[in-house]
Amino acid sequence: MRVDQELVERVQAGDKKAFDLLVMKYQQRIVHVITGFVHDPVEAMDVAQEAFIKAYRALPNFRGDSAFYTWLYRIAINTSKNYLTAAARRPPTMDVDASDATIYYDAPELKEFETPESSLMSDELEQTIHHAIQGLPEDTATAIKLREFEGMSYEEIAQAMDCPIGTVRSRIFRAREAIDKQVNEIMNQGE
Amino acid sequence: MTVNQNELLSALVDGELQGQELDRALKFLESNEQARVQFQQYQFSSDVLHGSAHENNRVDLIDRISSALDDEPTYQIDQAPKQKAQVIAFPKQFWKQAAGLAMAASIGALAVVGVISQPQNQLVPPMVAAVDVEAPVQTMSIAAKGNRWTVEEAEVADRLNTYLVDHNEYAGASGVFSYARVVSYDAGQ
Repeated sequence: MRVDQELVERVQAGDKKAFDLLVMKYQQRIVHVITGFVHDPVEAMDVAQEAFIKAYRALPNFRGDSAFYTWLYRIAINTSKNYLTAAARRPPTMDVDASDATIYYDAPELKEFETPESSLMSDELEQTIHHAIQGLPEDTATAIKLREFEGMSYEEIAQAMDCPIGTVRSRIFRAREAIDKQVNEIMNQGE
Repeated sequence: MTVNQNELLSALVDGELQGQELDRALKFLESNEQARVQFQQYQFSSDVLHGSAHENNRVDLIDRISSALDDEPTYQIDQAPKQKAQVIAFPKQFWKQAAGLAMAASIGALAVVGVISQPQNQLVPPMVAAVDVEAPVQTMSIAAKGNRWTVEEAEVADRLNTYLVDHNEYAGASGVFSYARVVSYDAGQ
């Protein structure tokens, strides 16, 4: 992703704050991956923190041969395994290929560590978001679906929908606003 | 926060910002706590859609990691080579135009060379053949000197020169052929 590479170059050029954005972007996914190895949520947070710090230290050597997230993902897996080994716990036998990082969202290996409560909550959240998307005007719904489910860039969406990129951007933003509103209601109920 | 600012954050979640807009978004995130919260909410919804939300709670490791990195060095890796590469990175349109121009120039050059060489081959053969075959018999010494022929026999030389002058007058009327000198004669003349 171009933004990731630009952020990496900024960090390499001395802009430490740019790393915060990389953390903000990937913390959720990285913690999710680590939870597949380290089941305790508090420990998983510690391992995630360690993985990000290792990534920062290794950043001068990152040349952009692979996507930043693939590289970070590999660090997270290795950090998890090392953590379990150091804690004299056997790492899980499942092995994950770093090349699968970008598609490794809904892995059953990770799902099996969910509690019934979290699984229920997860389903409810997903349903809420899908419901929110269904309630959107057709153009807005199509734009967010192409972006989130098909992984298309704004330029590709603009071509597919035959409209300017700026329109795609504002449609996706409006969709996010609507989704965010629904998600906040669910999250606030849970608190 | 304005709608435009939030739209910027939404585009940032999708990795669709660069240059000045990315600068603006970064400064905005750095200076505005609410912007950070909003960005993470957008990111969280996106992560939920992809099934990668941790325990369905919003994770916030920024402060922890930021504090831990306080003691880490700030890098100063020179990005100059990459910037230089960006300077000479012409847009695709430029390469298309340059390739088209190069092809047109090549075809044009081929056409000129082809047209110049073709008439000599087409017009001369019967006459040249006569020269080739009969020249040894006549043992006539002929040499071109500018626009004049030098032949041992004055009468033949005179006739050849007249022929050459006449030819130049007619040939000069047509574009490319004005540069082509096609001169021949029967050995017996």
